[in-house]
Amino acid sequence: MLGEFLQYLFSGLTTGATYALVGLGFAIIYNASHVINFAQGEFVMIGGMGTVMMMAAGVPMPLAVLGAVALAVIAGVALDKLAIERARDADIVPLIIITIGASLFLRGLAQYFWGKSYHSLPAFTGDEPLKVLGATLLPQSLWVLGVAAVLLVALAFFFNRTLKGKAMLAVSHNKDASRMVGINPRFILMLAFALSAALGAVAGIVSAPITLTSYDVGIMLGLKGFVAAVLGGLGSAVGAVIGGLLLGIMEAMAAGYISSDYKDAVPFVIILLVLFFLPSGLFGKRGTERV
Amino acid sequence: MSALMTVEGLTKTFGGVNAISELSFEIQPGHIHSVIGPNGAGKTTLFNLVTGVYTPTEGRISFAGEDTRGMPPHALARLGMSRTFQNLQVCMNMTAPENVMVGRHLRLDRRFLPALLRLPAVTRGDRACREKAAELMRFVGLERYLDADADAMPYGALKRLEIARALAAEPRMLLLDEPAAGLNANETAEIDALIQRVAESGVTVVLVEHDMKLVMNISDHILVLNYGKKLAEGSSEEIRHNPEVISAYLGAA
Amino acid sequence: MWNRFRNPYAGLPVLAIVLAVLPLAFSNPYHYDVAIHVLINAVVAVGLNLLIGYAGQISLGHAGFFGLGAYTTGILSGVYGWPPLLSVLAALVVVGVLAFAVARPILRLSGHYLAMATLGLGILISIVISTEGWLTGGPDGMIVPTISVFGWELFGETRWYWVMAVLLLVAVWLALNLIDSPVGRALRAVHGSEVAAQVAGVNTISYKVLIFVVSAVFAALMGTASAHYSGFITPDLAGFFHSIEFVTMVVLGGMASTYGALIGAVILTTLPQLLTGFDDLEMVIFGAILMAVMIFMPRGLVPTLTARLRKGS
Repeated sequence: MLGEFLQYLFSGLTTGATYALVGLGFAIIYNASHVINFAQGEFVMIGGMGTVMMMAAGVPMPLAVLGAVALAVIAGVALDKLAIERARDADIVPLIIITIGASLFLRGLAQYFWGKSYHSLPAFTGDEPLKVLGATLLPQSLWVLGVAAVLLVALAFFFNRTLKGKAMLAVSHNKDASRMVGINPRFILMLAFALSAALGAVAGIVSAPITLTSYDVGIMLGLKGFVAAVLGGLGSAVGAVIGGLLLGIMEAMAAGYISSDYKDAVPFVIILLVLFFLPSGLFGKRGTERV
Repeated sequence: MSALMTVEGLTKTFGGVNAISELSFEIQPGHIHSVIGPNGAGKTTLFNLVTGVYTPTEGRISFAGEDTRGMPPHALARLGMSRTFQNLQVCMNMTAPENVMVGRHLRLDRRFLPALLRLPAVTRGDRACREKAAELMRFVGLERYLDADADAMPYGALKRLEIARALAAEPRMLLLDEPAAGLNANETAEIDALIQRVAESGVTVVLVEHDMKLVMNISDHILVLNYGKKLAEGSSEEIRHNPEVISAYLGAA
Repeated sequence: MWNRFRNPYAGLPVLAIVLAVLPLAFSNPYHYDVAIHVLINAVVAVGLNLLIGYAGQISLGHAGFFGLGAYTTGILSGVYGWPPLLSVLAALVVVGVLAFAVARPILRLSGHYLAMATLGLGILISIVISTEGWLTGGPDGMIVPTISVFGWELFGETRWYWVMAVLLLVAVWLALNLIDSPVGRALRAVHGSEVAAQVAGVNTISYKVLIFVVSAVFAALMGTASAHYSGFITPDLAGFFHSIEFVTMVVLGGMASTYGALIGAVILTTLPQLLTGFDDLEMVIFGAILMAVMIFMPRGLVPTLTARLRKGS
């Protein structure tokens, strides 16, 4: 009983950590620009596939990891500079289509250069499962959770203690006022894209040994990351992380106790219910429109 | 004569702060009524409460003999309430006459299938509505813009367009939220004349305005708010000589 | 000159002539096939444009309605042997009822939350379709019988072309009628200023629900057409990417322009056909074109171009 529950919990936390990192990426970009970046999932793909391909070319793993993260960051910054920044004044819908166009573009490039097959990364530190209270836990899951935790702590430090981080928060609260105190919102936006891309790529790399990776893993991960961000209340970083973890756990529980057929449906059922009853997410701001 | 609108003990709280507290007053039919007060006194909040845009925290509002507390704006419109907005709410995706025609919504054939099939009943009603809209645009002085897209019109014209749209409903009560804000002296004088013409046509006008001269000249009855509370009420003569008003509002200004 | 140009009904006879003359240029069934898909998508786009372009409410899930329509008629006629005309009607009812049931809570949302909810709804429909394989054939798809109307069998590209062409003309006419009516103005006012619309007496949520259901039924109708025309359906019809294609048709051609939606459908349907020569780079080029048009013409092709023409004249 307990073993089974723990098993689902471990697996849910592991996928949840991935969703959390992707959701956090959504939240960071949303805060800096009010853009929902539907290409977020492609950063995850670039992380996983980039590492696989560089390792296949003979690059040692640590370097391949760094290279893949760098590749995702380049893609993120390019997306910002070449597309988002030029369409700053567009409405929500054109912006959504631009980021979807970007995701097709990146996915298409991956398919062209890296092919359509599925790949796996070797686990970082062996794949001898650990036994915990009747449940098994892959060492790689610990890597996923550990890396996610380290990133979250680093980000918390960045936002609360460093000048650049505080500047990003300031821009999300009031763009005009932050410009007046000398913050360059363009730079902040670029930083947001770079940061989100890096987060996504890391999520893709650490989860690749467990879930496999391919040119199209970004589709579902991107959508679920968006669900995580909305679940937590758009723009709330803490909310996105909690939203992501919750999604992962509920998905695993539903798959384990109910039916695995509808595992992918779980996040969407949850988000619809939440939006129906709490229209601004679990931790979103509620306010009266001023006229 | 019974009141057109009665407000009793009205309170609205935003995050623990009372934007309006314990406010009571009556609006008699006919005439021009004004609500004045320093910035942040709660004038626009009061408008939003009365027109159903906000829901009151406490208190009662009745309009045209019905308890309207918590009624949505579109239901209040059916009872004959109409308003303009301090920050313009013009539909920029439509032409100027179409904006006015929206104001006539409740007086048109709104059935879906006849509209879809363009039945004569709908087109006939629409043609009459278009003429009425043009007439109203002339009434508010917008004859130059009969073919214009709303997003091609200057600010002062848009303010009038809102008034024309509000009038298109043939309301019993018209609430104008700072109709002269952002206008120059000439334009203000024209708006002043326009409001008087509207009142003469039998519509009860309620005005929120910063421009003291405008208010004093044309109002039959004035309500002074300060920090969400009623400071004074009376004719412009009474308000002009009310020491509390002078110190709180005129003195501070 | 511009007044005539601004009368949208002037476009109807032009459209009718184009549709009538076009087959002269077709030299093989493949041309007809592409044209039929254009027509099917165009009707969906015209309907969706009422929701997105005119009422200002985004939906990233309309392929769900399209797919649900296709599968409902496919299952009822194929598995249960209903006469196709009846199964098509049933599909419209099913989609209409579903859309109506979810519309109120969904359309209370706005902006990205609305995008999320409609996206979720569409994906759920597609997941159900691909999971319930015993009924739908699962990811492999299912075969759908042909349709006959009172003994006249609707079969072959030519017949389908003419039926769909008439359907498009009717759809455009209905959309134009609606836009220029009290209902249409109320919908546009919801987009322009929701609070102003309410104050004018427009029950905004009811109108949003109405147009959501109408656009869903447009999509469902074309889903059923697509199913019976091609004779084979897969869950991709209801998928997220298909929803995005529909939205892109509306936005690319030009929001709040019925003919824009039509042109968007033409471009988005024929583009992949033109790109098949590029094989593996198809997705890359498609993505790049989407981005480029939206960056340089965020209002879409038709409004941007007509605005330029107007300035030029």
